[in-house]
Formats: sequence, structure tokens, C-alpha cells
Amino acid sequence: MRALFNAARTGIAEVRVHKMRSVLSFMAIAVGSVVFIDSFATIVSTYDRLQKQKEVSGIARLKITQDYDQTNSNPDEYTPPPNITYETAMSLKSKLPGLYMVSPEFQNWRNTLEFEGKRVVTTINGVTPEWAKRDFVYKLKGRFLDWQDLENKLRVCVLVRKAVPPPSNELTKTRMKQWNYTAAFDVLVSHNDMLGKTVKIDGVTFTVVGILEELSPSKQPDLIMPQARDYKVLAPATTLAHYGFFDEEYDSLDLNVDAGDENNFEESLKLIENFLKIRFGGDEFFMIDNQMETINEAIDASVKQSLVTISLGMLAFLAGGIGIMNITLATVFARTKEIGIRRAVGATRGDIMLQFIVEAAMLGLIGGVLGSGLGYLWGVPVKELLGMGASPIKPWMPAVSVLIAAFTAFVFALYPAWVAASLKPADALRTE
Amino acid sequence: MSISCSDLSKTYEGGHAGWPALRGVSFEIKPGEFVAVTGPSGCGKSTLLNILGLLDEPSGGRYLLNGRSILEMSDGERSDFRRDELGFIFQSFNLLNRLPAADNVCLPMMYAGIPRAEMHHRAHELLAKVGLKGKEKKTPLELSGGERQRVAIARALANAPKILLADEPTGNLDSASSREIMDALLKLHAEGITVIMVTHDRELAARAQRNLRMKDGRLEE
Repeated sequence: MRALFNAARTGIAEVRVHKMRSVLSFMAIAVGSVVFIDSFATIVSTYDRLQKQKEVSGIARLKITQDYDQTNSNPDEYTPPPNITYETAMSLKSKLPGLYMVSPEFQNWRNTLEFEGKRVVTTINGVTPEWAKRDFVYKLKGRFLDWQDLENKLRVCVLVRKAVPPPSNELTKTRMKQWNYTAAFDVLVSHNDMLGKTVKIDGVTFTVVGILEELSPSKQPDLIMPQARDYKVLAPATTLAHYGFFDEEYDSLDLNVDAGDENNFEESLKLIENFLKIRFGGDEFFMIDNQMETINEAIDASVKQSLVTISLGMLAFLAGGIGIMNITLATVFARTKEIGIRRAVGATRGDIMLQFIVEAAMLGLIGGVLGSGLGYLWGVPVKELLGMGASPIKPWMPAVSVLIAAFTAFVFALYPAWVAASLKPADALRTE
Repeated sequence: MSISCSDLSKTYEGGHAGWPALRGVSFEIKPGEFVAVTGPSGCGKSTLLNILGLLDEPSGGRYLLNGRSILEMSDGERSDFRRDELGFIFQSFNLLNRLPAADNVCLPMMYAGIPRAEMHHRAHELLAKVGLKGKEKKTPLELSGGERQRVAIARALANAPKILLADEPTGNLDSASSREIMDALLKLHAEGITVIMVTHDRELAARAQRNLRMKDGRLEE
């Protein structure tokens, strides 16, 4: 312990005497520390985002739609695919109760919505309460659709209120202007408290039971699957069928399914295919889009990106470590005579090694602290100033960075310290 | 502490067959002796002193320090021996110029694990003994040649060694300073320390108890 203390004292004296050399060593490690903290923050934010995305979007997702692309050589043998109906969805849900979500969906375009004498063009989606189980990036005012609404085909609806686009998004603004996009529906819903009021959609009166307020872009978790989520009005699928918004004889629903457990995904997929075969005499009429693969690819891509980022951080430390090694080796050669003197008065090889290692570790420690400060400055105020968004720097990141900096310096000082300790006292003393 | 060398040789690497610095040197030094090793430049005096001081290893022969062969000692044991039993004085002083005189004297005690306060107290005492009271905080560069060598003597005495090895201790000094250093060495010898001094100055060598004359790596006693 005393030897360590003595080595530390000598180290402090060396740092003070050789200011330029010390500053160069600090900087070598400090740069590594800055990059490392930035990498860490990026990885943590990527991981957090992925976790949120998984929670919101789920992983074991698939989408069943009609497949019109059957390749029959003889057009006379072509059989149009059967329609997916609300009843199909309910049957699938009851046959496979292990599925987390079976959400049938139908979209009708160019409907007219009337409210207090104002008329706007909108779209309407026929859904069930299952719709809200995934990709729900809204704040709900009032209530969402429930099973009673569907069973009783009630004329109730939920309106979607768009988030205010970020003010910096000038490009979107310009494009919206170019396309003469007035977003009348969005303006109507934003400017009026329509909860509990009645609206007319294509002449049918609906009561607004809920408003879905889209979260602001900064609070909105990114969805793993980029989907066209241009929802405006949601109503019970059964109500829309009953009032002729779609005809189950001609129109088919899409089925969004979440198997829930990714481990049982393959089994669920087989059961669904089996269900379709039994019900429709074959599953070739349907396209089952395995979204889990896409989602996993997206996750893998994020993980790979994180690995690249952390590799950059490690490379920066490696460069810093090589800098420390280089400077320590130069120090050993410059202080060969001193090593000889210390050996002559009784220093062991261990004492000499300890001295150089402690000196380098101190440089690493100081560099790490300096780098952590710079890393915070770069990650928070500077990035915000540059409009890059502050990095989520957690208190443990600078602490880990300082430890890694000291450890890197320690590891890279081992060789120069060994060189110093291996010098024969008589040879070292002869050096001028 | 006795010294016994028999058939000691040292060959430096380099050249076709190496360069022999010592060729079969044999002698004994009894505890408390003052021995001067003399001879012309390049005769192997410093090589012999380095081997005696465990700073270098012989290529052949036997060197017993207090009855123990140095070849059987580990590097750590040799370091301990240098620290506790031996003291060195060099021609070029070999002080650490950025440290004050007191800290230079403390160096061997630091490696001996002596507490800081005790170490500094002893360093001040030793510097006073060699006539450098009040100059403890001066760095070697602020001292004269004679004063620097006295700091080196104080450092050599730090751990109360039994043997003092001096390699041309007056080589870089004027005659007055040389006399002072020689007087100091004689005084230490009188206190019971074995002194082995390498010098080419016959006048100084004459003041030693015994002379070992060397020529071409051999002893001509």
C-alpha cells in the first residue's frame, strides 16, 4: 500500500514536471472518453427505443390479406379469393384463444363528415376494440370502442386528432403548401371539442364517444413497422357493415394478428394456416405477411448499428491507449538513467513497474475525468445547440468511462513498464 | 560483511567473441576494510565495482557476499541487498535533479518502507552530518559539485549500509572538494563501514588501507 502511495506521489510530481507530455496523454484518453460516452448514450437510447417499440408494436405480428396474385396458366381456372369477414375474424379469435390480438380492419375512403354545418372529406375505418392493443400512440379522451358497440352495431365513433407537426419541419410545410393540402378534418377536430357531440358521416349520424389525441412527435415512440397510419374516424366494423359503408359480399377485411409470444409464433402461424385451409379449402387465397421477420430484421439492424457505435468508442479508447503506450515508452527511454538510480538504491523490478503503471493510470484517470466532462458538454449543450437533440447521458456513463480510461491506460502501460523494469541497473546507469 | 571473489570474469556482448572486461579476478575483502581499486581507464575497475554492488552479474567465477553466492540470489533479493546493505557513490553523482536534496536522500528509505516523517527526519540528520544543513530544499542543480557529492554520500548512508561502494567519487571535483569527500569517506570507514573506492588518483588511493591494482581486466595486487 505504501509502495502504491509512493508511486502515486512520484506520479503526481511527474505529471506536474512534464506538463506538455501529461496534457498530450490526457487528451489521447479524453478523446476516447468523449466518443465512448457518446456511443454509450446512443446505445442506451437505441435500446430504450427498441424496448418501447417492442411494447407498443409487439413482435409476433402478422397480417392476413386477400391474395389476388395466384399464378394460374389458364385464366378460366382462376378463382377469386374469398372475403375475410368480421365473422372470420371472430371465428379465428375463438378457435385460437392464445392469440394476443385479432384485429379486423376495413377502410372506406372519401366519406363526408358533417359537424355543425361544416363538411369535410375524411376516411373511416371499421375496427374492433382489438385495434387498440398494438401501435397505440395516442392519448384517449372519452372512451374507445367496446364489444357492446359491435354487438349492438351502435352508431358511435372515435375521432383521431393529429399531433401538431414539429415547427422545424419546414419541408413538410412547403410540400403541404405545394399540394394545396388544407387538412380540413385535422383543423375541424383540433379546433372543436367534439366529445359527446354528434356528427354525420355520409348521412349516418354517429356519436363521438372518444377522441384519440396523437402524442407529440417527441413523445411518440417510433413504431418498428413503418405503417400508413392515416386514421381519422374509427367506428365499429359491424356498424359500418350494417349501414352499408362496406359490403361483406364484395369487400374483404384485413386481419392484423399478434401471436403474443414470439416463441410460439411458428406454431401459431401453422394453426392460422390450418384454420384458413379448413374454413376456405386452402390458404393460397391469402397472403400471410410475417411481420416478425421484418421486425426482427429491424431489431437486428439496430443492434448491429449499436455494435458499430460501441466499436467506434472502443477504437477511440484503443487509439488513446496506444497514445499512452507511446508516451510512456518515450518516458521510459527518457528516464532510463533515473530507473538505474532507483534500482541502485534498492527499487525492485516490481517498484519500477508499479511506478510507471501508476503514472499511466493517473494520466488515464485524469484524461477520463476530463473526457467525461467534455463528453457531457458535447452530448447535452453542444448537441442541443446544433439541433441534434441531447444524448441521454446517465450518471453511470461518465463513471464507467473514467474506469475504462484508467483501465485502458493501465493495460497499455504494462508493456512500457515491463521494458523499464527489465533494464539492468548497470546498463541503465550508463545511459546519458 | 565479507566479500570473496574467485576467478571472476565479465565479458560484454558485441563483436565476434565479445569484449572481456574482467579476466579471472580473485580477492577477499574483510569487514571494515578500506580498499582502493586503481588502474588506468578501461581496465575493468567500474565493471568490478558494478558486480560487487550487485548492479551487474559476472559472466563467470564466484562472488560470495557474506558467504552467500550472488548467483543464487533472486533479482528481488539483490534489490533488498542493495537497499539495506550497500551504499553507492558515483562520479557523476547520479542524483535526481528535479528532487530537492532531502528527497534524494529519502529515496532508499522510501523503498525500505520507512514512514514519511521518520524518513524526512533521518534525511535532515544525514545532510547535517555531511555539512549540508539548511540546503535540504535545494535541488542538485542549485548545489556545487562537492555539495552534490555530499548529498550522494548522505543518500548512500540512508539505510545504514555495511558496505560503501564509491566509483571515482572525486572524479568531477576540484582538489579542495576532493579532499573533503575523501575525509568524509575516511570518517565513515572509521565508524566501521567497509569502503571500496575505485579511483585513478594515486594520492587518494594511498590513503586507503589496501590497494587492488588492475590492468587489462586482471588484478596486479
